[in-house]
Amino acid sequence: MTLSGRYRVALDIGGTFTDVVAYDEQTGTFSVAKSSTTDHDLVEGVLSALDQVVDAPEAIGFLVHGTTQGLNALLQRRGERVLLLATEGLGDVFHIARGSRGSLYDLHYRKPTPLVPLSDIVEIGGRLDARGTELAPLDEQALRKAAGRVRDAGISAVAVAFLFSYLDPKHELFAERILREELGDDVAITLSHRIAREWREYERTSSAVTDAYIAPTVRRYLRRFDEQLRGRGLDVPIHIMQSSGGVATAAAAREYALSTLLSGPVGCTMGGVALAKQLDRPNLVCVDMGGTSFDVSLVVDNEPEVVSETQLEGFPLLLPVVEIHTVGAGGGSIAYAEGGGLRVGPASAGAVPGPACYGRGGTSPTVTDANLVLGRLIPDSFSGGRMTLDRGLAEAAVSRLADELGMSTVQLAGGIVEVVNATMAQAIRTLTVARGISPRDFSLVAVGGAGALHAVHLARELDIAEVLVPPNAGTFSAWGMLSTDFRHDGSRPFLTTVDAGAMAKLPEMLAEMSVEGSQMLDAQGVEESLRSVSYALDLRYVDQAYTLTVPLTGMDETRSPEFAAAIAQRFHDAHKRRYGHANVGAPVECVTIRATAVGDIGSSRAAAAPVETTRSVPAPAGTAEVVFDGVPMATEIHHRDELPLGAEVRGPAIVLEATTTNVIPPGAALRVDASGTLVINVREDS
Amino acid sequence: MNPTDTVTDPVTTEIIRCALGAAAEDMNQTLIRSAYTPTIYEMKDCSVALLDEHHRVLGQSLGVPIFLGNLEVVTQHTEREHGRDGWRAGDVWILNDPYIAGTHLNDVSVYGPVFAGEDLVGFATCRAHLRDLGGMRPGLLTNSTEIYQEGLRLGAIKLVEGGEPRRDILDIITRNSRYPDLVHGDLFAMIACVREGQARLDAVIERYGLATFRAARDDVFAQTERMERAAVAAIADGVYEAEGHIDNDGVGDTPLRVHVRVEVSGENILIDLSGTDDMTKGPVNCGAPQAVAAARVAFKLLVNPDGPLTGGAFRPLSVNVREGSLFAAEEPVPCSYYFTPLGMLIDLVAKALAHVLPERVAAASYGDSMVVLFGGTNPDTGQRFSFSQPTVGGWGAWHGTDGQDAMINNVNGAMKDLNAEVIESKFPIRVTKYAIRPDSGGPGQWRGGNGVEREFVFTGDDGYVNLWWDRSVTPAWGIFGGSSAQPPEVVINQGRADERRLMKATGHPLQHGDVVLTRSGGGGGYGDPSLRSVDDIKADIREGQVTEAGAQDGYGWDEGVGS
Repeated sequence: MTLSGRYRVALDIGGTFTDVVAYDEQTGTFSVAKSSTTDHDLVEGVLSALDQVVDAPEAIGFLVHGTTQGLNALLQRRGERVLLLATEGLGDVFHIARGSRGSLYDLHYRKPTPLVPLSDIVEIGGRLDARGTELAPLDEQALRKAAGRVRDAGISAVAVAFLFSYLDPKHELFAERILREELGDDVAITLSHRIAREWREYERTSSAVTDAYIAPTVRRYLRRFDEQLRGRGLDVPIHIMQSSGGVATAAAAREYALSTLLSGPVGCTMGGVALAKQLDRPNLVCVDMGGTSFDVSLVVDNEPEVVSETQLEGFPLLLPVVEIHTVGAGGGSIAYAEGGGLRVGPASAGAVPGPACYGRGGTSPTVTDANLVLGRLIPDSFSGGRMTLDRGLAEAAVSRLADELGMSTVQLAGGIVEVVNATMAQAIRTLTVARGISPRDFSLVAVGGAGALHAVHLARELDIAEVLVPPNAGTFSAWGMLSTDFRHDGSRPFLTTVDAGAMAKLPEMLAEMSVEGSQMLDAQGVEESLRSVSYALDLRYVDQAYTLTVPLTGMDETRSPEFAAAIAQRFHDAHKRRYGHANVGAPVECVTIRATAVGDIGSSRAAAAPVETTRSVPAPAGTAEVVFDGVPMATEIHHRDELPLGAEVRGPAIVLEATTTNVIPPGAALRVDASGTLVINVREDS
Repeated sequence: MNPTDTVTDPVTTEIIRCALGAAAEDMNQTLIRSAYTPTIYEMKDCSVALLDEHHRVLGQSLGVPIFLGNLEVVTQHTEREHGRDGWRAGDVWILNDPYIAGTHLNDVSVYGPVFAGEDLVGFATCRAHLRDLGGMRPGLLTNSTEIYQEGLRLGAIKLVEGGEPRRDILDIITRNSRYPDLVHGDLFAMIACVREGQARLDAVIERYGLATFRAARDDVFAQTERMERAAVAAIADGVYEAEGHIDNDGVGDTPLRVHVRVEVSGENILIDLSGTDDMTKGPVNCGAPQAVAAARVAFKLLVNPDGPLTGGAFRPLSVNVREGSLFAAEEPVPCSYYFTPLGMLIDLVAKALAHVLPERVAAASYGDSMVVLFGGTNPDTGQRFSFSQPTVGGWGAWHGTDGQDAMINNVNGAMKDLNAEVIESKFPIRVTKYAIRPDSGGPGQWRGGNGVEREFVFTGDDGYVNLWWDRSVTPAWGIFGGSSAQPPEVVINQGRADERRLMKATGHPLQHGDVVLTRSGGGGGYGDPSLRSVDDIKADIREGQVTEAGAQDGYGWDEGVGS
């Protein structure tokens, strides 16, 4: 693909702000801009931000966009009414939802309310068996009748999920043909096998229904967005960030709306991927701490961790998605006493009333209040000075709880921060140590309003040597999107034991999947030379349920007569690494084949060539008294935008910036590297 | 207990408490994710606990609620048998005796001591349901009359010695199983879980030091006890009773009484089960530790659902079981369906306390596991197979909310049922219907949840079905004027000349093409049905939850008047 335009641009439209990052291919520089999100017409906000960094939309050679339209439609339950067509006899499966109870000690547990009521589920006769053989043909009359219902009721989305369609989609395809005949092209039709070619009808139905539920919203939005930008002169296709961490054209995203579901949230991880490559630190723990939640994701060997299944709002989704763990810990987490003991979170004061120090009526002490009491937040420089914090209110709130627990106010404030740090460290440990990954080999990237406040303490807790705070943390996600690739994740069911006979079928199946991946990349216009396809098998011991995804070195190795033995051994090793034991000699089973086609869309990373920097020790903008380990210490205050490249600051210090506050405790030291990233060595003596 | 020197503070205590809870969670994940059988990884029929050196809970994670607080009985027993000196680093023990552990033979406990240097500091323990340990037939026996028929019974023995798995013991266990590979795989998953727990407890103690760790532990226990005492004190003093009947013991046909007497007095609560019937010939007997655990579940559900599970929990609770009763099984009575009276016990405690906790209780749930087991020859492979699953059903309504439809019973905890695509891919069985069963929930101002209808067609050869269906004598009751739910039923070959209605069966023969239709019960209603709103009744009819006939019977609904 050639990029004729001068700028590569990423757009991240959040609830409050629209962020734009533009990379100028001529000068090799990045520029960023922000505008208020304009809910009535999102393009207005986009254009006003674009105007600040790009000469004209015509000059854009590549545009990528992270959208939260689908996610918001789901979270706020304002998606489309969906009619679900299901196999006769099993229509209620979507409501039975495998009968599980989410909470063991709750007599009043409620299942998540399904997105389609029972009265909008229509059973259609026709059945395949577990080999994909037709037992009964699809009932065309029933289909036409259902179509009539869609028409009469003005329903705009249909999900079709028939039993065993992952083995043979002919019934779903037939249903699509009849529905199109009856309804034309205006109704969104989702076929479950297109969403996920995997067994398990409840999970596949849930995925298809969710796609149908958000598809009309996503499509309408993308169409309008495309038209309006084109109307202003944009003449390249718009690309959309996918939940998998890759990008796809808007045209492809319209056909697979579900893939955009986590388009927004994955940006942070993809920023991590870009940073990993830029700074040559292939292993990163990315933490994003805001007011109510703490999101952790990993970058391992420059790649995000992509899993093939996730859960949202209680609904399972068979969808390749960058794995992000969320813990209820944030600046707003409330500290309280229970049975005479201290607890912090997961309940949050949110934005309203917010922490006591916001002065909006909150009286419960929060993590933000504790940081303020410790002096780690500067009252008139919070959030770039957009808001002033009331230290008196914070102290009052913390001291009330301190009295109850028999501690001093400062002691408790330090304790609240310690407890929340321990909770966050635990989340990271669960994500790493429990899978045989040592966090010591990682750097920790902190973003989000509260991330850099806690990052050094977290790193120390986990034996991580270094914290990175990227420049323009507020536009980090948008920046990350600029460095992603096209990505198409394909899967095929392949339930068989791993033996030479069965494995001999692999080369042919992989070749087919490779063709499918190539077709997707053709559609995206990626040049032949910039493509690559990687393969993996989901394997397990016979009768295990959970699989491990074991990568292949390439298609070639599957042609070797030794392949079955080699891949089984690779699985034993992976099992041993992950769980601490392997059952060498036990039969291994394959469940799914995965092929990921990736198209390199050129990159903006070459631009960040290292520049020589001069070491300097800047004079502080001021000092403040900050408590570390219970002791008040005179602490330098700096402003990040006044620190030159190469600047070095030793802790204790506070570095203020528009969206966050960086805390450098005693014993840690910060350096501004050539890219403008703050690199914090958490133990100077190490 | 002597007060420990104060070497901790609320902050350190809380950090240690969270670390121990997380350690237990991660142990359970290790077990679930490396287990071989769906019973563990899908049904989560397992639980783990980290215990201190006095066998008190430091952290616990459960797939099955009724294992609540009873892993300590196995370490206590082992210590009684082998002495305190019997604990050696690197050893892992195994035990499955129902009279000691309280459950059935398939529930195997695996556990080991944790040392910090020379000091015994605690135990890492887990329990999981293993697929098969012998016995007269595959699956839980529905008509056993002695424990010896039910499979291999193990007292406390070493499975791993000095870090090395004992091949002789593994050989005995796997040789006595119909599925040696699965049992072998699951045992190693359990060993991995114990090792995870040992490493995690070790790490906490190494970091904070033994004295601080112990002081924090004492604080945590005291916090939990204070919370629970306050919660019990808030319940009006008095004596509250309830009783119900399970259908039979699987061998005879006499209903068996389960009786619950709850005595609340200040900060203390007694759950007295002594009015329950005597031990019986069939396999519904339950070892005393498990009856205590079920009483704890009821306590937790009603009194203090959100409190942490620690060694300080349940101190205000005493449980009384009568020697010689169903709830104090002794050799040689059989125990494979020990849980059937337990599901009822839990619902009965709620019924007994309804008038003092009207907003916290719920009407009864459908109640038991409702197990269907298919066996036979798979024509594709020529091999024998067996497949069993519990059945979901309706739960009771509570103040302000209808009961939930189609949810697994209390005893099975976090279980998920298997998808039809999974069942049909693995076994010669076709699922031809899986639907919500209308009208099965009890009518009420708030309606009981509905059960399900599930129809299987057997496509194997030389087959049979085992059934364990109960709660037809006392179907889920309503409370505060709410009506009872419909009882469960199972029909084989409905409408054919050979139609049979069965609730319990052992080895009932099946031919290729035979149809087994199961209908689970609903949950009870809450409040007078005449108070239910017209809109709610209309919605129930529209959604197919209640038929028009059902609306007439249950609510006096008359379409002409209603619409």
